Amino acid sequence: MIRSVLLSTALLIACIFAQSTWFGGIAVFGVVPDLSLIVLIWLSYKNGQVEGPISGFLAGLAEDFLSTSPLGFHAFVKTAVAALTAVLHGSFFIDRLLLPILLGIAGTIVKALAVGLLYLIFGSSIHAYSFVDKVLWIEAAYNGILAPAVFLILSPLNRFLVTERGRG
Amino acid sequence: MPDIRIPSTDRGRRAVAPILLAASLICLTVSTRSLEGLPESLGLSIFGFFQRGFSAVGIFVSDSIASITELQRLRDNYRELTAKLERYTNMERGIAELREENKRLKEQLGFSQEIPYQRIAARIVAKDPENLYSTITIDKGFSEGIRKNMPVIALQDGMEGLVGRVIEVGRGTSKIVPLYDSKSFVAARFSGGSRTEGLVGGQGAPDDPLVMRFVKKRMKDEIQFGDLVVTTGYESIYPAEISVGRVKKVRVLDYLTSIDIELDPVLDFSRIEYVFIIRPKTVDSEIDASPGNKNAARPSAGRAKP
Repeated sequence: MIRSVLLSTALLIACIFAQSTWFGGIAVFGVVPDLSLIVLIWLSYKNGQVEGPISGFLAGLAEDFLSTSPLGFHAFVKTAVAALTAVLHGSFFIDRLLLPILLGIAGTIVKALAVGLLYLIFGSSIHAYSFVDKVLWIEAAYNGILAPAVFLILSPLNRFLVTERGRG
Repeated sequence: MPDIRIPSTDRGRRAVAPILLAASLICLTVSTRSLEGLPESLGLSIFGFFQRGFSAVGIFVSDSIASITELQRLRDNYRELTAKLERYTNMERGIAELREENKRLKEQLGFSQEIPYQRIAARIVAKDPENLYSTITIDKGFSEGIRKNMPVIALQDGMEGLVGRVIEVGRGTSKIVPLYDSKSFVAARFSGGSRTEGLVGGQGAPDDPLVMRFVKKRMKDEIQFGDLVVTTGYESIYPAEISVGRVKKVRVLDYLTSIDIELDPVLDFSRIEYVFIIRPKTVDSEIDASPGNKNAARPSAGRAKP
């Protein structure tokens, strides 16, 4: 389990670095896709209730250090998304296209809801998504479009990133 | 290797996420009350190091590809510049005379030659990983003399404009909160004419216009499209007369005693690659005096306007 958590966290942090340095060039209307979120959804769906949330929490903390967000913001959001995705663990067979798209979009909306919850608790020190603004929906669509490709790329890494229990 | 116990029961497994969520909330509670900022600074120093590595790889790849077309462009530029150089050489003599004359006149008027600011050039290595916050990360940090709340400017198309301010400083990297961030505010005034003052803030996206608030309603007839807005220098953070934006639209709401003015930033934030951090000379002397600071005395790239 520890190996899976460490490798998953390293992969998520690498995605965060890539998002912050390279993804400016593929932004659509100034919106970048959340690659680390897509990877986290895959990891949590495959691993279940322990590894996904732990990796999400650690990667989220790393992201907080790189962002102007308050410490704990991304840690909370990523843990929440991972925990909710882990509830679905083993419930469906992940096909090549439809379910990854749905998970990518739903994960982004869950992320926005988690951010909204933090906004309710901590008020103006938190930046929240507006559900009527284009940013959230462009990001959701972008994540949905990218998810099938990311899931496909991650599949061969199953034995490194997913525990034996997760592989069934 | 520490003895890490893995929760083996279903109950134990279910407890992991709530525990981590609670830990996140504790972190948030502490950090939103701005307690010291030490964990953030430490984390930025560590992760900023790796982030710079990622940025360097990206820059290397894009630069390698761009260098082929760049070579052709440079050849054309070389020819053009050679012709320009010839013209400028002729102009140089006249400028030297004017400079001398200007110096003499300034001395006669008793103007101070001392400019109280220095600039530190830095390259933007990263932006915020996601879309909610507007972080800009630069490749200079504490060891280069950067300190929290130092103002940041950039030059673009011959125009000098305000970028934002340093919000977090790591050892080799720093985080900047840009002017377009929705939590960013700067006291500003119109550059010419009325000198009307207001408070300029961002709307969260680099493409969205800045908004100047609390401008007195009676001034609305004096404000023209394209008028330049600059910093007032009232705050201790931003020096005066740095360009912020130009008037795009005036919004007059009947129920308000003030008007809102939309401004086009003088800088295109999506195109900025290099910035200058403005360092007051008082900070410079403090850094020079600090023990074991090898880099602090390094000469900076140039000087800012006062």
